[in-house]
Amino acid sequence: MDVRSQIGMMFHLDKCIGCHTCSIACKNIWTDRRGTEYMWWNNVETKPGTGYPTQWEDQEKYRGGWEKDGNDLYLKSTSKKQIVPNIFHNPAQPSMDDYYEPWTYDYQNLFTAPEGNDQPTARPISMVTGEYMDIEAGPNWDDDLGGSPIYARNDPNLKSLTPEQRLQLFSVEQLVLYYFPRICNHCLNPACVASCPSGALYKRGEDGIVLVDQKRCRAWRSCVSACPYKKVYFNWFTGKSEKCILCFPRVETGQAPACFHSCVGRIRYLGVLLYDASRIEEVARADEKDLIEAQRSLILDPNDPRVIDAALAGGVHPSVIESAQQSPIYKFVVDWKIALPPHIEYRTLPMLFYVPPLSPVIATRKDDRLNSVSDDFFHDIESSRVPLKFLSGLFGAGHDGKLRYALKKQKAVRWYRRAVTVGDVDMETAEKILQQADCTKEEAEEIYRLTAMCSFEDRFVIPPANREEAIEMLKEPFEHKQSAGFGFLSGPRRGL
Amino acid sequence: MIAVSRRSFLAILPIWILLIGGQEIRGDERALQAEQAKSFFRQNCMSCHTIGGGRLTGPDLKGALERKDRSWLKRFLLDPVAMLESGDAYAAKLKKESRGAVMPRAAGITPQVADLLIDLIEAESELEKSEFAGLQISERPLTAIDVERGREIFLGLHSLERQGASCISCHSINGIGGLGGGLLGPDLTKVYDRLQGRKGLATWLAAPATPTMQSIFKPHPLESGEILALVAYFKEAAETGSEAPPSGPLHFILLGLVGAVGVLVIFDVLWRTRFRSVRARLVADQGERALHR
Repeated sequence: MDVRSQIGMMFHLDKCIGCHTCSIACKNIWTDRRGTEYMWWNNVETKPGTGYPTQWEDQEKYRGGWEKDGNDLYLKSTSKKQIVPNIFHNPAQPSMDDYYEPWTYDYQNLFTAPEGNDQPTARPISMVTGEYMDIEAGPNWDDDLGGSPIYARNDPNLKSLTPEQRLQLFSVEQLVLYYFPRICNHCLNPACVASCPSGALYKRGEDGIVLVDQKRCRAWRSCVSACPYKKVYFNWFTGKSEKCILCFPRVETGQAPACFHSCVGRIRYLGVLLYDASRIEEVARADEKDLIEAQRSLILDPNDPRVIDAALAGGVHPSVIESAQQSPIYKFVVDWKIALPPHIEYRTLPMLFYVPPLSPVIATRKDDRLNSVSDDFFHDIESSRVPLKFLSGLFGAGHDGKLRYALKKQKAVRWYRRAVTVGDVDMETAEKILQQADCTKEEAEEIYRLTAMCSFEDRFVIPPANREEAIEMLKEPFEHKQSAGFGFLSGPRRGL
Repeated sequence: MIAVSRRSFLAILPIWILLIGGQEIRGDERALQAEQAKSFFRQNCMSCHTIGGGRLTGPDLKGALERKDRSWLKRFLLDPVAMLESGDAYAAKLKKESRGAVMPRAAGITPQVADLLIDLIEAESELEKSEFAGLQISERPLTAIDVERGREIFLGLHSLERQGASCISCHSINGIGGLGGGLLGPDLTKVYDRLQGRKGLATWLAAPATPTMQSIFKPHPLESGEILALVAYFKEAAETGSEAPPSGPLHFILLGLVGAVGVLVIFDVLWRTRFRSVRARLVADQGERALHR
């Protein structure tokens, strides 16, 4: 057992209101520089929808993630043999159009336009060419458009739906949508790290944050194509790849990352997890239907004395173990099993989990009139407007067992709380439903507390960074103290 | 007495040394001049003349001094064209014998050089076999094997005995494919006719007369067997082919274009699974579908 610590994350989709505050917080801190205009380390997608970049989930096109051939894992985008012949032109590289051409507006015209009969306008200007442009796409082109004919209907997750289900999903007054906020998953088996010919990407030992070394990056862009979530971006100005850094300067000083901190719906949770690094490969090779369970088994119980001993022996700081015991992520993922990894079939073992959204019931048709208000408010999850099949494509690798379990438990908690606070549901029924959902009253209470009544400290259990220990691993701390300052500030530049 | 003679000996010693040295220097000078004359002959005369090797374009110079006197020869050497124009009968006869070819005035010739050349011709004529007798190329009839070997030498498939550059590096000739040979030197398809046949061509190959060829082949001369093969090949080429038409460069460009397109097609096939635009296609497809609806 090789116990290591990893910062885990959880997004509660039932709470996301799609306000994009997270994206803006991130943008303002990290990606308002030249060359990063098109980057959204954090973005919020509308589902059904094609996302950003367009149809990123279609790995037949984008060739991201791992592929299992026999009992071995291979990168879909490249290999040791392919990397050299393709080094000057990466054949799986998305073009700018698949993201979007970033633009600003000619605001000056509002002030300097000559007097005329028409109101002056601020025409869009490309932030790449500086020319006037026609906007054709954006990072949120179909925001809130659950049924748009081009984008929503081409959501790759719709492939597994029957034509009937699709028709149902997109018919007028039946439309449904939910939000899908995304950042880098800081995976346990990151394809971007594996693909880099320069070895510029690495996963930090102390907290598992995946980073790009801006000095070692040589602009091959293998990481861009290898990441199945398309969360590594190429900075065309500095010639280096960049990605979400989980605001590590904030995390190291005990603050939640900007997108977590600013979240209006309080959907984001963060906490450290202990995992067994020696089993990563075995887990990543598991059968598709067992992947979720296998990944859960990788996460170790931080209260188990054997795990604690192994963690201490492996150099995990006692304060981190303590933090792991408080981790809300462990509760959602392992204890309650209501948070699921996105697209686990890419086999990168993402460490960002999602509580799948409950959706309104399907409307009923009576005498040619659609009745979208159901008497049965806490309906059966099988008749959700978002078909289970659709959600299981995203959160279950196509298998809906784990997803159904998670949704059922959430539903049961609602029944239970209804019985407690409103009382129009009798406790007996509620308890029966809890039982069916494999949930106890205590557990339901705790889920309710951590979901609805959670404070800042409940949501963000940030492990101490122990930077002094990190330094000790490499250098003699007293010597380091006397000989080094904060280092030298040198921005990334093209070339070596 | 002894002391005096010893002193006088010491006095004359430097003079004596100078005298002997001077004689040696004079002897060296003569050898040097002879060597210069040979070198001049090799560079300027050998492509048309032999000494005791028979007639090339110009006459065999063996015994030239028996045919004409020294002063005539010197005048002729210094300016052959003026000599001919002055109506000299012997000069006119020479022109007739060489089928109208007029000897050009050698670059860098001076009365002194002319004297040295005449000395050289005189001296070499007395030898049984002069080094300027020219390369003795076999007179045997040329065969198809010679032609094939010549072709191989021309194309560089068969490297030259003394590591000379292959002809194709600088020259082209009819019948070696669309890409042709080098364009630095002239097209050699009709060189057999231009140099008036077997003998002239062979001599030229043995001692090329142009500065470019000289600088390349002087350190790496051709062997007689190689010359024979090349002669056979050039003869064949002159008889069968015609020089490349002026559209030659156009062919080259077209061939280059076809090649480039071919490479692009190969790339397209090799990387057929590469990433292609997703969003633009999606929008275009949907637009088309909407039109058909």
